[in-house]
Amino acid sequence: MVRAVPNGIRIAAYAFVALTMLLLLAPLVVVIGVSVSESQFIAFPPNGLSLAWYRSVLSSDAYLRAAALSLQIALMVTASATVIGGAAAIALHRRNLPGSAVMATFFLSPLVLPTIIYAIGMLMLWSTLFGGVSMMTLWLGHTVICLPYVVRTTLAVLSESDPFLEEAARTMGANRIQRLVHVVVPQCLPGLAAGAFFAFNISFDEAVLSLFLRRADMTTLPVQIYGQLEFSPDPSVAAVSTIMIGITILLIVVIDRVLGIKRFAST
Amino acid sequence: MSDRTESLLLTLPGLLLLGLAFLVPIAQMLVLSIEGENGPTLAHFARFLGDPFYLGVLWRTVRLSLIITVICAAIGFPLAYIMARVGPRLRLWLIVLVILPLMTSVVVRTFGWMVLLGRSGLIPDILRDLGLAGRSFAIMHTEPAIVIGMVQVLLPFMTLSILGVMTRIDQRLEEAARTMGCSFVQTLRSVVLPLSVPGIVAGSLLVFTLSASSFITPNLLGGPRIQVLAASIYRSVTQTLDWPFAAAQAVILFAGVLVVMIPYVALTGRGNG
Amino acid sequence: MKTRLAVTTLAIATLSSGTALAQDKTLVINSFGGAYETAHKECIITPFEQENGATVQIVTAYSADAFAQLRAQKEAPQFDIIHFSGGQEIVGAQEGLLSPIDASKLENIGDVYDFAKANIAKGEGPAYSIAAIGMIYNSDNAPKAPASWKDLLDPAFADHVVLTDISNGYGMLGFLMLNQVQGGSLDDIQPGLDAVSTLLDNGAIVVTTSPEIQQEFAQNDAWLAAYASDYAYTLRKAGLPAKFVQGAEGTPASYITVNLVANRPNQELAMKFIDKTMSAEAQTCMANALRYTPTNAKAELSDEVAADVAYGEEGVKGLLRFEPAKIEANRAAWVDAWNKTIAR
Repeated sequence: MVRAVPNGIRIAAYAFVALTMLLLLAPLVVVIGVSVSESQFIAFPPNGLSLAWYRSVLSSDAYLRAAALSLQIALMVTASATVIGGAAAIALHRRNLPGSAVMATFFLSPLVLPTIIYAIGMLMLWSTLFGGVSMMTLWLGHTVICLPYVVRTTLAVLSESDPFLEEAARTMGANRIQRLVHVVVPQCLPGLAAGAFFAFNISFDEAVLSLFLRRADMTTLPVQIYGQLEFSPDPSVAAVSTIMIGITILLIVVIDRVLGIKRFAST
Repeated sequence: MSDRTESLLLTLPGLLLLGLAFLVPIAQMLVLSIEGENGPTLAHFARFLGDPFYLGVLWRTVRLSLIITVICAAIGFPLAYIMARVGPRLRLWLIVLVILPLMTSVVVRTFGWMVLLGRSGLIPDILRDLGLAGRSFAIMHTEPAIVIGMVQVLLPFMTLSILGVMTRIDQRLEEAARTMGCSFVQTLRSVVLPLSVPGIVAGSLLVFTLSASSFITPNLLGGPRIQVLAASIYRSVTQTLDWPFAAAQAVILFAGVLVVMIPYVALTGRGNG
Repeated sequence: MKTRLAVTTLAIATLSSGTALAQDKTLVINSFGGAYETAHKECIITPFEQENGATVQIVTAYSADAFAQLRAQKEAPQFDIIHFSGGQEIVGAQEGLLSPIDASKLENIGDVYDFAKANIAKGEGPAYSIAAIGMIYNSDNAPKAPASWKDLLDPAFADHVVLTDISNGYGMLGFLMLNQVQGGSLDDIQPGLDAVSTLLDNGAIVVTTSPEIQQEFAQNDAWLAAYASDYAYTLRKAGLPAKFVQGAEGTPASYITVNLVANRPNQELAMKFIDKTMSAEAQTCMANALRYTPTNAKAELSDEVAADVAYGEEGVKGLLRFEPAKIEANRAAWVDAWNKTIAR
């Protein structure tokens, strides 16, 4: 820590972090509370205490299948978006292509339009060309909307990087591939990691594209939850969310134990 | 292979993907905005731009997005700084807490807010007990409800964007500034802040565009009486089934966001804005 | 929306999903999720599969989303059968997305009330269930039981009234009824809009979706809402003190229709599905599970169920239907006017 931080500021920092966490976590506390409620409707504070909703979710084929599909798509999308977006960001950062600036904006454009417009356009296109949608459609669609996050976060990190490192590696005789793998990619790792993380989350929670680009056997978790709400808005949807919160925390603890905290938290 | 060729090869997959799987379907949809019964028409745009109601919706969308972005930056910058300066284990847990909201389904999370902000919700109840509000007071279905709900989901994007840049700032620069007699706050302002600008720019762009284009949270928390453009587009697509008008609104949203973004990118200068 | 694409040359054939699903004995349909889908399976889908040795694939999609999907997939629809509850079949038939239905090929259609099958030759599928629009009230907390649609405006309910946005099908019908008792008509919705302004001034709130109504009754002490009989039952099943009454001035009917999608190879099997849906036993089962009015005159309901729905020749006569074609023709303009009225 740089010299002593004044005490007043230190206290203010604690208070600030506490308040921010309150804002971020308040609705999650509600969700967790609702999930253990005995009542058939979403109410807080919960009436009674029961794990029945967990039982009903975990024994429901529909939820489990949906969760498996969401996970599969999110992983595929994380891989494709990180590789494609990361590569593009590295090239855009060099600014040696005509219209680099325009291209950087172009890569952000999928964020600007409401996904409903994109979803309908994609559905029309795929139906016309291929007679229907498939996993491929959903994968491409999700990759498109996740790409901007990777490009942005990687570009931001690269802008702070040392341009002379790559030059030095060149002088030392490293070829293109070596320079890319050993110098450039490590430099943008924090950005890539943040981008990959966003991509996973966006894809996992995406409801609109998944709602329209699907067949009977392609129902993702958010779509399953949405479909449950109209006629049976019960605490089972809260139980699903609580399970996801639990899995996230668990996953991070495991990563911490197995890989060690430092590597992961260098983000 | 020249440097240019290498750059081209690196961008090619992205350009192809966006070209074929984004531009083509979007174009197919947006071209509807000039479709009329007797050939091309600007009637759908005229309907929007000539109606104070829709102009109000556009203005609210841009205004709320700006407010949300500013609040996210105001919280995200100090938060990222604290995260960058604490030990790795605490940092990890702060990161986990910041991203947890992203791990719950948007619909469910929004129901959480509805419980807290509704008429008999916790927060209005407390305000009523303090004598600060009347019986029908609620935060639900107001603009502040939209802002609160959106800041909660978008803060991770801002914080992590800034954090990524901030961890790369050489701490010795700060030490140097302190040694030269700068106070803590002065150091923050003249060393850390300028160096974090690329992160703030990247985060702001994400937050601003996401606020402008998302509709589930604003729709549920703002209610039908406080519409934003993206929610209006969703209605046109699924309820009134007026796709040309939906397309026109999307074009206007796109243009509106660009009008705000381009000067911002230009002002923040050479950075990778 | 045809041929908008002047042929994109990405002929990556492997991307094609193919429509291999469209085999002889498979149907793709939509259902509405949750308890509805459970009942739908039990009453219609599973018996149909067993009787015909067929497989039915269900896509959970509400009417509005399903219609958007159907329209976007005009070139290659994935549904064989599509169910609507918001009048979408009228637009669907106009746009040629739905096929005309030949009544002579349906065994059960003869038992169905005439009004429920009026336009099947045009492509508007027959109604198999009817939700009655009336008033849901909180029987524990409300100061009195509402009887007339005008009670919505009674100051006794004031800020405990929940209105539903007219982008919601039930909301639209409730609003048109309010408009009618205030002296308006389908050519003049101003009296209704004025009444809505008064309600909002009194502190009423506006919601868009069904779960929000549940939320208001469960959490925020709502007393009165204009909505449908089936949802009152949903609330009651969840343990909320919600009762349903029909307004004295009349009960608008919301139809749930089963439609035959055009350009599908399997229409013969699909027709059998429609026939099954129209049968007395299927409709009785749906009424028992979800409290809908059957449209098959031979459907027999127990007293308990009959008390919750409009039932029998006489009961059904009391239902009134706002001319659906007129609603469709005016929908965009009405939604515009409504939005401007409720905007803060």
